[in-house]
Amino acid sequence: MNSNRKPGVPVWMFLILIAGAARAQQYTGYKPVADLPAFKQRFATESQKVQTITADFTQEKVLTALTEKITSYGKFWFKRSNRVRIDYTKPFTYRMVMNGDKMLVRDEQKENRINVRSNKLFQQVNRIMIDCVQGTILDSKDFTSRVFENDKQYLLEMTPASKSLKEFFKTIVLVVDKKDYSVKSIEMNEPAGDVTTILFSNKTLNAAVADEVFAL
Amino acid sequence: MRYLRYSLLLLLGACASAYKGLRPVAVDPSCAARMAPQGLGTAWYTTSVDVIGKHISGLLLVKQMPDSSTRVVFTNEAGVTFFDFAFAADGSFSARQVIKQLNKKPVIETLRKDFALVLGLPFRNGAWQAWQEGDEVYYGVAQKKETAYFITGPDCASLRRLETGSRRKRKVTVEQTGNNALLPDTIIVRHHTFAMTISLRKLERP
Repeated sequence: MNSNRKPGVPVWMFLILIAGAARAQQYTGYKPVADLPAFKQRFATESQKVQTITADFTQEKVLTALTEKITSYGKFWFKRSNRVRIDYTKPFTYRMVMNGDKMLVRDEQKENRINVRSNKLFQQVNRIMIDCVQGTILDSKDFTSRVFENDKQYLLEMTPASKSLKEFFKTIVLVVDKKDYSVKSIEMNEPAGDVTTILFSNKTLNAAVADEVFAL
Repeated sequence: MRYLRYSLLLLLGACASAYKGLRPVAVDPSCAARMAPQGLGTAWYTTSVDVIGKHISGLLLVKQMPDSSTRVVFTNEAGVTFFDFAFAADGSFSARQVIKQLNKKPVIETLRKDFALVLGLPFRNGAWQAWQEGDEVYYGVAQKKETAYFITGPDCASLRRLETGSRRKRKVTVEQTGNNALLPDTIIVRHHTFAMTISLRKLERP
């Protein structure tokens, strides 16, 4: 018997089928959105109706290979357009405010004001964050996207197109509520297999949010 | 003329060895065994790094692995991994993951040496010599071009700091606070030959 025999055509076909099936089943309970252009249009239109968001969040970072995870908590604000504030409150304090082209970062020791235009990486991070909550992520040239749905939510799988983003992310997965088209969770999958999930709770849409919240 | 005299004095001061005042003393084996750093247990730390006018913050995980290796992983607050270093049980080092912005030999080498000192790796194989200066006893282990010290009080009651230095220059000091040497509350790594400080504060998980 020849144990070095190369797999023939049927074996390759089988492997391709298995790979295809694995990819299709990647998101259990979801099916691909049939009319993607229509979804994009609807997503953009509905997202436009969201002027402000206030929410709590829970962030869980899982270091897969090290079987280690860390959970942090905080508060999130968004005001159209281009204004985001993220406050981590437990187990550490950290504030990030994005207001147009300006950014404020305050950690436990220092405060730093950054002009995002002067730093390409900050510019990209800023853009991704704003695009995610503003509903314009599907138009971003930084990603190719696939969209899935179940009866309650949409799932947007964003794959970085640029080399600089590919270094940090394998995919970013957004789960969007069908009810109001707001983002329920953001999952950042890193190339080495680590995963960070941000889950939003106590979400309030379109309540008054003072401009001072985003003061730099 | 006066200016020249001051300059010469400053120059001589700068050239004077930081270790000039050390006088050899006999090693106290029981003190050395008791005080030699034993590494760190698994913990997360909030971290800030100040290097030549730049400031970076994030979270640092020190993790003891089942194979007795230690992993040191630095992420930003939003969870993106900046580097993942592995120190094997035999002290060998590998950079498992480093982002492009930090993936430069001098950066990795500096961080490797800093974390090796924090983890007490230079002290694993003993071969100590001892010196005294004032009320401090220096237990030193010769490295390739430097000496790594752990420094105790005269009564061997406390570990004051860790340090590396060349023959003349103090290079890096590590100071810890807290009651548990394996899980210190804070760790400060300070470079003395250029402006770099790493500050760690242990996280209490919610």
